[in-house]
Amino acid sequence: MHRSGSWLSLARQAVSIGIDYGTHAIEALAWVAETVEESVYEAGSLVRSGPDLRFALDNPPLRVGAFRSVRVLVDRVPLPAERVELRAGPGTPWRSAASLTADAPLAFGPGERLEFRLVGGAPSTAEPLVIRLEFETSAIPPTVWLVIRDRPRAIAEAA
Amino acid sequence: MSASLPPPPPPRPILLTGLASAALLDGRGDVELAREMRGTVVECGGVTAQCIRLTGAWRFDLRLDGVDATLPSTRVEGRLGDGGWHSRHRWQDLEVDQSVSAVSDAPGVVRTLRCAGSDSGARTVTVTSSFVPFLVPVLVEGIRPHWFDLETSAEELRVRQRGFGLSVRSSPAPSRLFVNRGSWIGGRRRARVDELGVEYELAVGPGAVGELRVLISGGLLRDLDRADEAARCVLADPVGAAQAVAAADRAWTGRLPSLRFPQAPELEVAYARAAAALRRLYCAPETEMTGLVAGYPWYSALWCRDLGWMLPALLWLGDFDWVQRSIDTVLRFQSRTAVPLLGGEEGELPMQLAPGPVFFYGTSDTTLYFPALIDAWRRHSGAGGLPAEWSRALERIVSWGAARTDPATGLLRNGGEAEEISDATGGLARVGYGIDAPDTTIWDSADRRSHAIDVQVLWWQTLALMERRSAGGASHPGTALGAGAADRLATTLRRAYRWAEEGYLYDSIRDGRPVAQIRPNALRAVSAGLFGRDEARAYVARALRDDLTTPWGVRTLSSRDPSFDPIAYHGGQVWTIATAWAADAALVAGEAETGARYLGTIAERLAAEEGYANECYRGDRPEPFDSCFLLGFSVAPFLTVLFERLWGLRVDAPAGRLSIRPTFPAAWRSAAIERLRVGAGTATVRWEGGRLTVGWSGPGALDVDAGGPARRVASGTEAELRTEPAG
Repeated sequence: MHRSGSWLSLARQAVSIGIDYGTHAIEALAWVAETVEESVYEAGSLVRSGPDLRFALDNPPLRVGAFRSVRVLVDRVPLPAERVELRAGPGTPWRSAASLTADAPLAFGPGERLEFRLVGGAPSTAEPLVIRLEFETSAIPPTVWLVIRDRPRAIAEAA
Repeated sequence: MSASLPPPPPPRPILLTGLASAALLDGRGDVELAREMRGTVVECGGVTAQCIRLTGAWRFDLRLDGVDATLPSTRVEGRLGDGGWHSRHRWQDLEVDQSVSAVSDAPGVVRTLRCAGSDSGARTVTVTSSFVPFLVPVLVEGIRPHWFDLETSAEELRVRQRGFGLSVRSSPAPSRLFVNRGSWIGGRRRARVDELGVEYELAVGPGAVGELRVLISGGLLRDLDRADEAARCVLADPVGAAQAVAAADRAWTGRLPSLRFPQAPELEVAYARAAAALRRLYCAPETEMTGLVAGYPWYSALWCRDLGWMLPALLWLGDFDWVQRSIDTVLRFQSRTAVPLLGGEEGELPMQLAPGPVFFYGTSDTTLYFPALIDAWRRHSGAGGLPAEWSRALERIVSWGAARTDPATGLLRNGGEAEEISDATGGLARVGYGIDAPDTTIWDSADRRSHAIDVQVLWWQTLALMERRSAGGASHPGTALGAGAADRLATTLRRAYRWAEEGYLYDSIRDGRPVAQIRPNALRAVSAGLFGRDEARAYVARALRDDLTTPWGVRTLSSRDPSFDPIAYHGGQVWTIATAWAADAALVAGEAETGARYLGTIAERLAAEEGYANECYRGDRPEPFDSCFLLGFSVAPFLTVLFERLWGLRVDAPAGRLSIRPTFPAAWRSAAIERLRVGAGTATVRWEGGRLTVGWSGPGALDVDAGGPARRVASGTEAELRTEPAG
């Protein structure tokens, strides 16, 4: 009910925007929303690799920067930073999120890839997961967050 | 063991702009500009058109006789002029001249390369033009899409990402195309693209100069077809297109008032630099959208809060028409109903605008800048009345503010704007995103809930203005505010924000308790005239102490605050706009030397940055950090303070009146203004040893008030009067 209420509200707001600013406005706002949605999380990258979960981002979420911390919650349960590993892509070393500090931040720029490995983070069921990522920079303190809702695929354990 | 050397200063960025386009480059030879941003180095160079970033770095590589070279590696010299940037290169026996210009008719950037060889025979130079496609509005920070639709035709290579597109046209036609450095035969294709390359062959030799012209233009896909003919014209005559931009700049500059401060020539120079910098921000990205972008490199969209700070300066510079069109643009997007999806409440003005149209709301202060701005436009331009739609917009603004007002205290609530957007959009998509900013005042990364002092000042100014407009009529009809709302709010401001122990004003009030933080925002209450002279001086003196004021400007937060961080955007960094606020408040308080010193600090930055003014600097040393190299915030308030506070000018063109109450340092002996626009006329003002000479060239007469009895100056004449101390 809550979700259908959200959609009805969305429809009402879209109609309102269309009336006040023209259908171009609805279209253009949708372009922006879709671009962000599709450019950050690499669709289908969420996989179960043995006891681990892995996925990738193709862009930083809404803000570039030198991130002093990256926090991950799976189905609202925070993962210890020691169990969150990051790398730019195959062939580059994994780095623990626990090693991120203001002096040793994670640089993440436009169009860059960031792979996540959540060690021992794979759930026992095959249900869709809600993964929330929280990024913090020293330059602009408010947390930037990204929520991914996806069902992990199972793959053979990778190196 | 040798001492480590400081890092070399970053090169001065080159910013080329047309009214709908921009090129950002570092001056080494290509259209590329690596800058520190948010603590890391990001490539910010490339082409922007219609507030849409078309490309990242755009490079030319050369090949001759099997040897390769980059354009920067061959650079001999570079210079700005004639509507563009020009570089000269030497490589092997080739002399290469390049011109880069931002053009507007086909919004984009055109590059021309002329290669001349020696007499060693006819040869072929291969030039590879490569760029990273973006195709996303600049207001979406940090996103580079990866998937694009590509299509070639006889005339162009076209790249599309949803409704955004770019076109690459050239003369001569390309000889080869590359996608991600792999050869592509052309046609139509959808691909993941990280780099596009286009190769050209130029014949050089005795008497033969090989010339390459490449235009990258675009923005909204629907406008790309319409710009076909204009693109052909630019390619046929790139010099003419660049000169048109230069001619428009010269015409604009020629109409500006001139300021003379013989005892402070650095302020004269800074005035010219700041005005020229502001011109670079002019933007008319599509037919019905006019304004100024907030800054470069990453705020190159219309931010309406920033317009609220920039447009008053434009009134003093005499560009009434641009101000009117800009206000029209913003008011057209005033939210008519609540749109939580975009963070909009009924009556609210947008935070950002870009062609599409794309627009978002969700700030607590943007809406409140426009009533005073509209009033200033009326006074400067001489318009007899406001357009009916503007009057209705003002009423909606008051209704918006009234809905946010605490009936008990009269204080306007700020905070929760970003949270409302997150609530509205949460759960609607497979991927959600947001920023946990609790608050969106001008320091929108700081938590200044719930009644930030500068927001209250804006609200008070709005109420007072509306009450003056409705003199004799009902106050704030349709709201629960009632008569005297402005006075009640002023009383609250004077009572509840006084911080006796600190000799200053609290930054905010939250949950009924004052927020004991020392920020420059409190000085806005001084500038608004809410306090008497002695009290105003005490607050200015407090702000002058070195926990808030540094030799390179004013911090956003006292260094004594437990949460102070010298690299936190709004939690310790120095902001040029805060320095301008301090100058403003000091001059209002009659502290002429202090005010001039703050203005001098900004002038020093403009000189050191060769005509640009950074958005912000570290709070512990004069080093830009996480900063746009040019922000309208940083130049426009400086200009406004020169006219409104240092000169003490107030224009009321509909009443045929000019007030002049200068606050000059004691050592100054003379100052002058020429070509000051007052309605349909222009005034000349000379000040010498306390005597004013005012000339008037407009229709009718001009009444000049310098504190004593007003003098009427007939058109075509001059009058003398003595200045009285500002009261």
